[in-house]
Amino acid sequence: MGLPVPAELKREWAALQTRRHFLGRSGKVLGLAAMASLLGTEALRGDASGASTYAAEGPLKMPYFAPKAKRAIYLFMSGGPPQIDLWDYKPGLAKLYNQDIPDSVRGAQQLTGMTAGQAHFPIAPSHWAFKQYGETGTWVSDLLPNTGRMADDLTIIKSTNTDAINHEPAIMLMNTGNMNAGKPCLGAWLSYGLGSMNDNLPTFMVLQTKLNDKENNQPVSSRLWSSGFLSSEYAGVGLRSSGDLVLYLSDPDGVDRNVRRKMLDAVNAINHETYAELGDPETNSRISQYEMAFRMQTSVPELADLSKEPQSTWDLYGPDAKEPGTFAYNCLMARRMAERNVRFVQVYKRGWDVHGNVTGTLPLLCRETDRACYALVTDLKQRGLLDDTLVIWGGEFGRTVYSQGGLTPENYGRDHHPRCFTTWMAGGGMRAGTTYGETDEYSYNVVKDPVTVRDFNATILHAMGIDHNKLTYKSQGLDQKLTGPVPASVVTGLLA
Amino acid sequence: MWWQKLKQLRPRDAAAAIASLRRYIAERVPKDKLTRTVWATTFILSLVLLLLPWLVKLDGHAHADWEQFLGRFHPLIVHLPIGLLILVPLLELAGDFEPSLREAAGFVLWLALLSCVAAVAFGYLLAYGSGDAGAGVTRHLWGGILLTIAVMLCLLARPYWTHATSSNATRAYPWMLVMALLTLTWTAHQGGALTHGKNYLTQYMPQPMKRWVTVGFFSKPPAVNSFYTKHINPILDNNCVSCHGEAEVKGGLRLDSYEELMQGGEHGAAVMAGKPEQSLLVQRITLPPDHKQFMPAEGKPPLNAEQIAWIKAWIAAGASSTATTVPGVAIHESQDRPLVPVPDYSALMPELQQMQAAQGAKLVQVSKNASDGLVLNTVDAPASFGDAQLAQFEKFAPYIVEVELARTAVTNASFATLAKFTHLRAIHLEGTGVTGDGLAKLTALTQLDYVNLSGTQVTKAAVAPLSSMKNLDHLYLYNTPAEPAVAVVPDPTPAPTTEKTTP
Repeated sequence: MGLPVPAELKREWAALQTRRHFLGRSGKVLGLAAMASLLGTEALRGDASGASTYAAEGPLKMPYFAPKAKRAIYLFMSGGPPQIDLWDYKPGLAKLYNQDIPDSVRGAQQLTGMTAGQAHFPIAPSHWAFKQYGETGTWVSDLLPNTGRMADDLTIIKSTNTDAINHEPAIMLMNTGNMNAGKPCLGAWLSYGLGSMNDNLPTFMVLQTKLNDKENNQPVSSRLWSSGFLSSEYAGVGLRSSGDLVLYLSDPDGVDRNVRRKMLDAVNAINHETYAELGDPETNSRISQYEMAFRMQTSVPELADLSKEPQSTWDLYGPDAKEPGTFAYNCLMARRMAERNVRFVQVYKRGWDVHGNVTGTLPLLCRETDRACYALVTDLKQRGLLDDTLVIWGGEFGRTVYSQGGLTPENYGRDHHPRCFTTWMAGGGMRAGTTYGETDEYSYNVVKDPVTVRDFNATILHAMGIDHNKLTYKSQGLDQKLTGPVPASVVTGLLA
Repeated sequence: MWWQKLKQLRPRDAAAAIASLRRYIAERVPKDKLTRTVWATTFILSLVLLLLPWLVKLDGHAHADWEQFLGRFHPLIVHLPIGLLILVPLLELAGDFEPSLREAAGFVLWLALLSCVAAVAFGYLLAYGSGDAGAGVTRHLWGGILLTIAVMLCLLARPYWTHATSSNATRAYPWMLVMALLTLTWTAHQGGALTHGKNYLTQYMPQPMKRWVTVGFFSKPPAVNSFYTKHINPILDNNCVSCHGEAEVKGGLRLDSYEELMQGGEHGAAVMAGKPEQSLLVQRITLPPDHKQFMPAEGKPPLNAEQIAWIKAWIAAGASSTATTVPGVAIHESQDRPLVPVPDYSALMPELQQMQAAQGAKLVQVSKNASDGLVLNTVDAPASFGDAQLAQFEKFAPYIVEVELARTAVTNASFATLAKFTHLRAIHLEGTGVTGDGLAKLTALTQLDYVNLSGTQVTKAAVAPLSSMKNLDHLYLYNTPAEPAVAVVPDPTPAPTTEKTTP
């Protein structure tokens, strides 16, 4: 059989086969043969339940050292939450209302096209008051009354800073360590480096939150959870925010599971032939993804069945959590995935790009997220999961202290600000009740303990048991890694 | 053609050529004058070598690039005298059976001398050119000089041994040779310690042997519980001492002990107590990393912000060697208990794999270090994993540090099995049918730190015995009769204050 590929194309492919292909393939065949003899042929032929197992390529498939966190949940606040209105308390700004920010603070910084033309850069103090929370007395905005209540469980980083000033490069940098597309994201590196802890669910899952059309939603794309140059089986599997979580997951009417199994076996056989013929590793990814989809036919409905959740869950997460696609629902799903040992879950919440109407939009955003964030961390904690689950909250940059557009006592706008922004982590291996780093009195420049995106990611990898310098993949002549070629260091001040 | 003649040459011809050269000199130069000249030359050369360290002082500064370029051939050349000198005694001994080999020994000894001189010269260029100085460098340098002199003395003494008559003293040469070889060994070791580090040889030495070798040699001063010994010295040790230590003293500065640190280097005091900003040490580590004088140099990783902050705070507080705390620095000490390593299970790997296939559960390593133990993972098929399946894993009990039994079919009967898993640190039983009868058996597990019984039917009375376990820091009973799920109702988030958009 084989694929109906025109003979001409096959010849061309064969001509493209280089010595490297040949050696690479013979190496793998030898490796498989060796493994078959070690494991017994069972492992390669498929196990009793009918799902085949395939040898995934990759380095270690386990941590380099005993990890503090086995899994992570990353709440990604796309658009750039304003640190001044939420976390970075600057009471001194009130008396500087409407004054221009000194040039010495701004320095020679290049601004975005949206405010570069402004004649004035009037300081806009936060509209909201701040309160102290917990034994640590952490100052948190009134917009986040619930997140504030768990301040003693959080590790707040006020000195996160990035190199990019616009959404796409900044969000790529945050997720993949590089502003350009084509590099694997954090989740892909984790599943490549650590492997799966649950054969029935993807190692890396992505949940998108339904849009709120009152908010300024910057697009997010699957590039952010792509596996880049790694095999595509390490890419994030996105669940839909409305309708079926995964499209076409249920069998069509009249097709039962045995028929589906037979069909898959036949397709796999064809794919194996294709692989033998053309040697493209993506064919193997395809086979393992079909198998994963087959297993997900039973595991995803079980995952999404919320009927057994006790009433206390709904009291905690709120009524929103019953509606698929809300941020609260996604947080609840993230907890359920953590319970089922999904290695990495990323929840995207868009809309934080508050260029204007901060007082109109920011409360909406906080209403959607504040309670759910609190619910997630509290729920993980009471269920004993926070000890080995790392929760990460943050966006791609911060926002300016000066107002974009007009400044009135009631309202203002804030532009992108890469030089400082606030993120937080909680759980697995993090030093709870810590605030790390400081910014100047304008929340403009970092004055103490800066944390670059590289350091931020190196610290996450460290918590998961990975030495960020060792987890590499050769591509384009470089030993590529998430933290990039510029030296990065684990921020020990964040670690328990 | 001459090269055709060359092909016909035999070793014996070379020996003959040397012999005729010797005859030629002997015929023309009176014997006593020749002896005098040779002795005088040896004396002058030795004197020059002995004075070399004073004539051209190693000042710890880098000099011309060409010196460094040539100097870097030292590691290559240095192996010639080693090989040649080892060959000499072998040839001398073999000479008892094959006299021509003893003839060759003299020639080889000459080559050894020439290579020694070359090695010393290039080594000196290396040290002088790159600005190396320090006790290790000095020892190696003196070794090289003494070795060269010893080889010269061997050459002088040898004729009295090979042409021994009963009248003149003859035993000097073998002893000289032994001395030369001992000097060679010592010098070569010093050189090796410079390139590979002092612990290169002993690092992987078997423990009993190590104890025997290192007792008395590498004993360190007793650790004081001060801020300096606990926090400052380790930073310097890990980042600076490879260039500013006993073996190498760049810029005349050593940072390997408190006294040396306070003494400073050739640019002055490294630390000015109470004045961090004026301390050279702080200045150098806080320059922009691409600055010429930035430390650590040569692309070594910079100190992180926390380490710099500690050094600054320590100097600001007076740079004391005894103070145990420093104002403004609260150092977080990890509360974690060190992990107890599990015994070696590599021999059981085949059995272990069979077990996984049969029981539908996985045993996965905690990390690359096998001694961190194994995790029993049942999440792929929890419903079919019960007491009987768990009992099957008893064989691997000492290697398992964590069991994930959440939502499996295990019951109270499993507590007896689990009590045999001596290295267990964590037990997950959430959502199972256990009611807590028999939980007391777990008190046998001394390393147990985490037990999760959320969503089970355990009662307060059932978990009471666990309270005696002093290592059990994490006991989760959420949503059980012992700790019913309480409704946590979060605060309302404020509403938008305006619907107006900015002008």
